[in-house]
Parts: sequence; C-alpha cells; structure tokens
Amino acid sequence: MHGRAVVVGVGESAYYKHGGSPDTEFQLACTAIRNAAEDAGLELRQLDGLISYMDNRNSPLRLADALGFEELRWSSTPWAGGGNNSSATMHLADAAVSGGHANYVVAFRALAQGQFQRLGSGAGLMAGTAPEGLSWGLPYGLMSPAQECALQTNRWMHDHGVSQEALASVSLACYANAQRNPRAVRYGRPLTREDYHASRWIVEPFHLFDCCMENDGAAALIITTPERAKDLPGKAVPIVATAQGKGPEIGLTTFQQRWFPGMYYENVGRILWERAGVKPADIDVLQMYENFTGPVVMALCEMGFCEPADVEAFVGDGRLEGPDAALPFNTSGGNIAEAYIHGLEMVVEAVRQVRGESTCQAKNVELSLAVGGPGYAPGSAVLFGPAI
Amino acid sequence: MSRYLGDDFILPGLTPNNTPFFTAGSIQIQFCDDCGHAQHPPDDLCYACQGRNLSFRTCPGTGRVESCARVHHPLHPALRERVPYVIAIVSVDGAPGVNVQGNVVHCDTSSVRIGQKVRAVYEEAVDPHSGTKLLIPQWEPAD
Repeated sequence: MHGRAVVVGVGESAYYKHGGSPDTEFQLACTAIRNAAEDAGLELRQLDGLISYMDNRNSPLRLADALGFEELRWSSTPWAGGGNNSSATMHLADAAVSGGHANYVVAFRALAQGQFQRLGSGAGLMAGTAPEGLSWGLPYGLMSPAQECALQTNRWMHDHGVSQEALASVSLACYANAQRNPRAVRYGRPLTREDYHASRWIVEPFHLFDCCMENDGAAALIITTPERAKDLPGKAVPIVATAQGKGPEIGLTTFQQRWFPGMYYENVGRILWERAGVKPADIDVLQMYENFTGPVVMALCEMGFCEPADVEAFVGDGRLEGPDAALPFNTSGGNIAEAYIHGLEMVVEAVRQVRGESTCQAKNVELSLAVGGPGYAPGSAVLFGPAI
Repeated sequence: MSRYLGDDFILPGLTPNNTPFFTAGSIQIQFCDDCGHAQHPPDDLCYACQGRNLSFRTCPGTGRVESCARVHHPLHPALRERVPYVIAIVSVDGAPGVNVQGNVVHCDTSSVRIGQKVRAVYEEAVDPHSGTKLLIPQWEPAD
C-alpha cells in the first residue's frame, strides 16, 4: 500500500435541486473549499493546489485569488470525459503532494445549473448540424448519456439474463440510505419498489429513479502529506491506492464490438487491486458513482465484486442497504438520492466512512472505496485506508 | 424517404471523414489498405498498423441489431412528437468489428430485438451549408 498522501479536510455547500441555489457556481465552490479548510484546521492562505475535472468553469487563478492563496503550486484536471474522473482527482492530488510539488491541495467540484445549463440536457445541441464527433449519433436522436448507457445495459442484461429488479435494487439502496442523511436532497422522500416500477421511463431500461439527479452544490477535499497532517487537529485519511485509465482500443465512441457492451472498468479494478494488494471482498464500504443503475451493476462485475450470473443476488434483498449491509454501498444516498455533484460528494462520503462520521456508518471501516462514473473512459477509483 | 425523427431534425455536419457515410447511399466503412483493418468512426490513420493508406469500401448494406433502446424522454423540442423512438447499435456485415448507430425504422418500436437482421435504407436531406444531397443511413427489419 501507498499512503504517502492523506485527506485532512472535507467540505460541502448545501445541496439544492437543480436551479435552486441562491449562490453562483463560483460562490458555491468557495463555500465548499472554505468549509474543507475549516474542517482541516487550515487557513485559506496555506492552500496551494487546485484540482477539478470535466468542463470546470471555475478557474484556478480566480479561485486562488479570491480565496487568498499565498501561492498556487499545482493546478490540474484529468483529460477526457466527465464524472468518470471524480476519483481521478485523488490520483492527481496524491501525485501532487507525495511528489512534493505542493503542500495542501484542494480537489473540488461545483455546479449551479440555474446559472448554467444542465449536464446532458441537449440544450447546447439545438443547432442545425452536428459536429463530426457527434454526427454519428445526434441525427438519430442518440444524444444523452442515459441513452448511451441504456444501449450498453440492454445488451448486457440480454447476454446475462439480468432482470430489471437488479437495477431497482441499486436505486432503492441509494434512497434507503439517503433517508438517514439530512444533507440529502431526497431526505424524507423514501422510495418503494412499487414507486420505482411505476415511475416513467426515460429510456428503457431506465426509469426516472434509475437516473442520477441534477443538482446545484459544491464539494471539496484537502490533501496533504502524513507528515504535515500531524500538525493538524483532525483525523487524516490515507489514500492507499488510486487507479485511472482505460483498456486498449475502446473506440472513439463507446460502441465498437471489442468492448461492447462494457463499462471500461476491468482495467481500473485490476490496477487498483494490484496497487493496493487487496481484493474486492476486502472492501468494507463502497461508494460507486451512479450515473444510472445499469452501469453500476455492470461495473461491479467488471471490478470483480461478483459475476454477472450472481449480480441480482449480490445487490438484491437489501444487501446494499443500511450500515449493516453485506456491502455497505452509497451510504450518503449517492448521485441518485443525496446530490449529484458529479460524484465528488461520494469521495467525501468515502472519507467520512473512514473517519466514522457517516450518517449511515458502516462498522470497523478500514478500506473505503470510491469509484468514478462507469461507462466512460478513463475510469477512476480511489481506496482510502485506516485513519491516522 | 422522409426522416424518422422529422425532416427538420439535426443533420450531420459534413466533414471529409463522415461525408462518404452520409452521402453515398450505401454503407461506407473505412478500411486500411495496408493491413485490411476496418474501423469506425473513420480517422486519420489506421488504429491497427498506424498506416495512412485508408479508403472507404462499400459494404453490403445488411447488419444485425447488437442493442436497441426505446427513448421516451425527448431531449430536443423537435422530439416531443416523436417519442417513443428506437435507437440501435448495428453491426455492419462486411466490416469485422464495426458497429454503427442508427434507428430501426418501418416497424413498431416495441418489435425491435437484439439479434434482429436489418438492412440499410436512406433518408434524404440537404446539407444547409453546401447544398450537398445527404443520404443518411437507417435500418429496417430484414427478417
């Protein structure tokens, strides 16, 4: 195991329904970073690194100025894709501090969808002609991640005889766990299996409740070295392994035969287990990014948690629900029921589990895993170890 | 034929790489003349041997539904009157390893199945920038 970088602070803004934030996206980002610094026992001026991912609109220069950093020594974002890189933020933060490039690095994600358009809304695609990269799908009305993942999931369910109940079980676990979490946007809104099946189709096999929400909010984590963490008041949570990447020749679009159907997480799992020296059965608590439920069950199999033939039993009968679950899973409610901060809120939850501070606290947590969004490459994962 | 999602729906913007596929009126797939590798979407070099001797070859125009999904939520205003519609991934006969995206037309949306044999048909449109006639590949049941 590695453990030369540790998370010393986590912070969030309040989470809102999409378009519900009274703050701008930049204000949300600053709030989450301030809260993370306060949690760590650090002054804002001590922070010297910034990492985000996806179409980040909050420039590191603007943030470092506004928050009063004395200097900025590291700013980076992983290439390609979207929420698949939520855990890659820890990969970069680990590199930044264990390599001595910066001292206190912030990983953050902020979004205000009232101020900006919704992710995957198609709102930017109204023009008359599609650019080359989108021309293969858009003229056919194939224009959203839900549709792309539905095509993958339908074929995978067909090949392995997996039923809709497996997808339902993932959604129900997220909703059940969110009922313990007052931060969750869906707190106080329990979901039954009947409600799930009665909800409208978005694209088959995804009902409304198979899809992540759209939200406003921000989340942040602060990473430093174990040596620096000794001078800070709180628990430090080691990054024991990270993985980011993709297998060979997945295609510029995600549908070529070699990897279809697939979520591109086989190699992420293999790299993670090799670097950590552990196996899936050793994981005490799992946060797995649900863009949609289908990709979750597929990625569980690709990472080695179970075989496709066993996945309905693996996720069914409440085996993912609550702190005493066979595998405590998405314990804050995840993207489906806590808030969709593009998965970074789930990395925060993975840290809370190690610190013993979750609202759905698993017992005796030593290995806490957060997996980025399946179905898009490069995938990413981060494994946290026992607090020091 | 008129377009499955309406004649005003989004068109492919033509580029050198996608013009054969969207204008030929046959299924045009890029092959490497050095090693024979078929690839889609087309690109500037061969992903198998990095060769640059690439050409488009005419495939028979038949294929198989590798996956399909019925779309119920319209993401574009023009689709509100079109849902539910079927999106599909089709493997192209004559181009090993290649799948393309499309719709399965001329049938009930609930009848489309994985494994179904399909054949290409073409939607007519005009590129608004160049005036070029488009023949956009679509797929209809063949069995």
